[in-house]
Amino acid sequence: MYILNLSEVRKVAGYRQIENGEVLLEVSRIPSGFKITGDINGVIDDVELFSFPRPDRVLVNNWQSWGPTRVIDKGFRLDFPQELIQKFGFSASIMPEIYFNLLLSDYFVASDSFIIGALKSTIGHVYFKIDDERISVHLRYFGRKFENWTAIEPIVVLNLGTDVGLPYYAQLVAKENNVNFSSQNPVGWSSWYHYYLDFDYEKMMLDLERSKNLKLGYEVFQIDDAWEVDIGDWVPNEKFPSLSEIAKKIAEYGYTPGIWLAPFSISETSSVYKEHKEWLVRDENGIPIVAYENWNKKIYALDTTHPEALEWLKNLFISMKESGFDYFKIDFLFAGAIQGKRYLPVSPIEAYQSGLRAIRSAVGNSFILGCGAPLLPSVGLVDGMRIGADTAPFWNASGPDIGYPNAYFAIRNVITRSFMNNVFWWNDPDCLMLRIEDTQLNDKQRELYTLVSVMLDNMVIESDKLSCKIDLNLWDLVKRYKKYGRRVFKVTGIMDGKYKIGSCGVNGCDVIVIDNLANAEYSVIFDKPRVELVKDVEKRDDGRTFNYYTERHLEGGESE
Amino acid sequence: MMERRWNLLTGEWVMVSAFTQARPTNPTNFCPLCPGGDEFEGDYDLSSFDNRFPSMKLDAPAVESKGIYKKERSNGKCEVVVYTVEHESAMSQMPTHQIEKLIQMWTDRYLDLSQNRLIKYVYIFENRGKEVGATLPHPHGQLYAFPFIPKRIEAKLQALSQYYDENGRCAVCDIIENELGDKERIIYENESFIALVPFYARWPYEIHIYPKRHVSTLVELTNIERYHLSKTLKVVTMKYDLLFKQAFPYMMMLFQVPVNDVSYSHAFHFHIEFNPVKRDKDKIKWMASVETGTWAFINPKIPEEAAKELRNVEVEI
Repeated sequence: MYILNLSEVRKVAGYRQIENGEVLLEVSRIPSGFKITGDINGVIDDVELFSFPRPDRVLVNNWQSWGPTRVIDKGFRLDFPQELIQKFGFSASIMPEIYFNLLLSDYFVASDSFIIGALKSTIGHVYFKIDDERISVHLRYFGRKFENWTAIEPIVVLNLGTDVGLPYYAQLVAKENNVNFSSQNPVGWSSWYHYYLDFDYEKMMLDLERSKNLKLGYEVFQIDDAWEVDIGDWVPNEKFPSLSEIAKKIAEYGYTPGIWLAPFSISETSSVYKEHKEWLVRDENGIPIVAYENWNKKIYALDTTHPEALEWLKNLFISMKESGFDYFKIDFLFAGAIQGKRYLPVSPIEAYQSGLRAIRSAVGNSFILGCGAPLLPSVGLVDGMRIGADTAPFWNASGPDIGYPNAYFAIRNVITRSFMNNVFWWNDPDCLMLRIEDTQLNDKQRELYTLVSVMLDNMVIESDKLSCKIDLNLWDLVKRYKKYGRRVFKVTGIMDGKYKIGSCGVNGCDVIVIDNLANAEYSVIFDKPRVELVKDVEKRDDGRTFNYYTERHLEGGESE
Repeated sequence: MMERRWNLLTGEWVMVSAFTQARPTNPTNFCPLCPGGDEFEGDYDLSSFDNRFPSMKLDAPAVESKGIYKKERSNGKCEVVVYTVEHESAMSQMPTHQIEKLIQMWTDRYLDLSQNRLIKYVYIFENRGKEVGATLPHPHGQLYAFPFIPKRIEAKLQALSQYYDENGRCAVCDIIENELGDKERIIYENESFIALVPFYARWPYEIHIYPKRHVSTLVELTNIERYHLSKTLKVVTMKYDLLFKQAFPYMMMLFQVPVNDVSYSHAFHFHIEFNPVKRDKDKIKWMASVETGTWAFINPKIPEEAAKELRNVEVEI
C-alpha cells in the first residue's frame, strides 16, 4: 500500500491476504505519532506493510554493532568492495541476498520530520527498502510457519525529527522490552587495540603491574582475542595458564576479571566443527553455512536451538564464571542470527535470543558486553553494547563506511547512536587509544574521541600497552568525568552532520560543537563550577544510607 | 506492612505503610536533625538520608495479589533532605550560596536514584509548617523515588505532550512568552527564571518557578542558571514570609521528567510549584471535599491580585 503522506498511516489498518498467509493490522494514536500493531498467520517470509515518498535526506541504520548509522542523500549508492562481500557474509546484513543490491535500513529510518521504527525484534526483522522515490516498510520472518495468529513486532511512526524523536523512540523501545541492565557503567582496560593477537600472560602481568603503578582507576581488566585455542575451542592456548589462574591474578589487582569470546562462532579448524557439525546452522542440503570469514578461516554459526549446543553454550559460560570472570565481552554475535536451517523451526531472531538468554542465565548478574550484535534483538539481554565499527589507530574519513576498523567511522556512530545509551544499555564507543606513540591518531583526534565518549556518558575502556607514552592528561579528564557521576546529554545536528552535544551533570553543563568530524574540528566549553560538593556515603547499622555533601572551597571563590 | 495497592476506582496506586505512623510530631525538647540528635552525631553541611519512617524501601517485602485486588511491592525510596545544620534557618533565611549547594545536592540525588531501574519518578518536595503536616521545624525537605509514575505526573505528561502535538511547541515555553509580554502575573524575574502566580493557580498565593530555557530536569541547568534558581527560591520564600509577616506555610514541589521510562522531555518543562495553604494571615484554604473528591479547585483569590500583592512585597537579597 502506498500512502502519500505519513499522516495517512491509519489507512494501512485492516486485513490482507499475502502469499501463504494473512495479516491483520491495527493503527492507534500515541503521543507524537501512531503505533502499528497486528497479527500474522501462515507461512510468512516478507511482508511489505506500506510505502511512502522518500525525502531527500534520510538517516539509515545497519542491523548490527559495527554497521553504519548515517545520513544519506538521494543519489547515494552502496559501494561495498566486491572483494569483501564474501568475507563479510552476514556481518553486513541479516539479508545479504538483497543487501548488496538495494539500499536498506534496519529497525528504524528517520529524517528531519519523521522516525519510523520497530519497538522490538523477538521473532521478525523490521527493515526498510529505500530507493530514490520511496521508502517501503517491511517485516521479515524468513519463512517461519505460524500455526496461530501471532503478534507482529510493533512499529511506531513518529512525526518528530531526529534530535527530539530519537531519544523518545529509544524510550518507547526500552519500555516495550521492559529493559533492565547493570547500573554500573564500567571503566577499564582491554588488550585488543595494541596487542591484537600478539598477547600473552607475561604481557598481561606487566600491564597489570603498570596499571597499578599509574593508578589509572580501572574497574575492569579484560583480556581480548588471543587467549583461546581456536574460535569455538574456548580453552586457553599455550600462551596462558588456566582461566582460573588468569582471573585470580586480575582480581588480585583489584579489578573485575573480563574475558572476550565469540560464542556463536565456530571456526572450520575447531574441534567443535570437526566433532559436532550437527550443532551448526545449515542450508537446505544440510551443509553448514559460512557465516563470515575471519582469522583466515571460514566461520560457521552455532545452532542455538539445538539442545546439545545450547547445553554446551551454557556450560561454557558457567565454567568461565566459576573460573572467576565477571565481565564477558561476547563478539561476532550476528552469527547467532544468520538465516538457515536449525534444529527448531524458529526464525533467526528467535534462535539468537535463545542463545543470548542461555548466556544470561549462565552468568547471572555478570556484566555482558555485546559486540558485532544485532541491535534490537539484544535490547534487554546485554548490559553494554558496541555501537560502531572497530576503532583503529588511524582516522580516515575517506575509507569505506562498511563497518571496517576506522576511528572516524567508529566515533561517527558513537554520535548517531548516542540515543541508545543508558536507555537500551551502556553504549561502548570502543576503546580509547591514548598512546602518543605507535599511532597515527593526532592530538585533536584523540581528544575528540575521548571528549565525545565521556560527555555522552559511555563506557570507557582504554586499550594501550601501558609501557607506552600515554596522554595522562586525557585519562585525568576521563577520571574527572567519571567522578562527577551520571550525565544527561542532548545531541543535535544528526541530520546535517554539525553535531552539538550538551552534557550535564553535577558539575554543570559542558558543550562540545563539532563543526567538521572528518577533520576533527571542534570547540568545547566547560561550564565553570561555582560550587563543589564532596559526597561521602555512610551505611548505618540499621541499613539506612546517609549521603553527606560538604562544600570544598574553590580557588578564587565562586563568581556571580 | 509496606505495600502499594491498586485503586480500581481511580486507576492509581495507594501506598500503605505502617512505618509512617510512628513518626514523631514536632518534638519540643530535641531536634533529630541537629548535631547530637537522633540522626547526626556531629556537624555537617548538607545531607540526604533514608527516612527512618518510610512509606517505600528498595528492599520492601514481596506481596501477593489476591482476586481482584492488585498489590505491588513498595520498592521505592524515601529520603530526608536536610538543607543546613542551622536549626533556626529556613530557605527564606539561608544564604543564597547554601541554596545553590542544596540545588547541587538535589541534582546528585536525581542522577543517583535514577540509576536504579526500578525507580520511575524522583519527586523532591518540602512541606513547611505544621499547617501542611511538617513534623520537624529544622530546615529540610524530602524526596520520594517512586517505582511508578504518580497520577498527577501522568496528567502533566499527557497534557504537555498533547499541547506539543497540537502546537509543535512546549506549553510552558509558550506560557513564559505570554507572561513576559504582559507581566501581570510575574512576581520576580532574573536572567534565567521567572516566578509567577499562574493563570491557572489552584491555591490563593500559588507561585510557579519556570526556567526561561527549555530544560526538563534540574540536571540540565548550567551553573549560572543554578545560581539564578537559588536567588529565585530565596526571593519567593522571602516574599511569602513578608506577605503576612509570619513563617509562611507551603508545599514546595519540583517537577522533572520521569526516569527509566518514557519522559517526553521535548514537551515537559522543568518547574517548581509552591502551593501555600494560607488565603489570609489567619485563614487557611483547606483541601476539602471538592478539591479532594474531584480534583477541582476553587481558588478564592484572583491570581492577578495575588501576583500584585506578592510583587509589591519588597525583598533584598
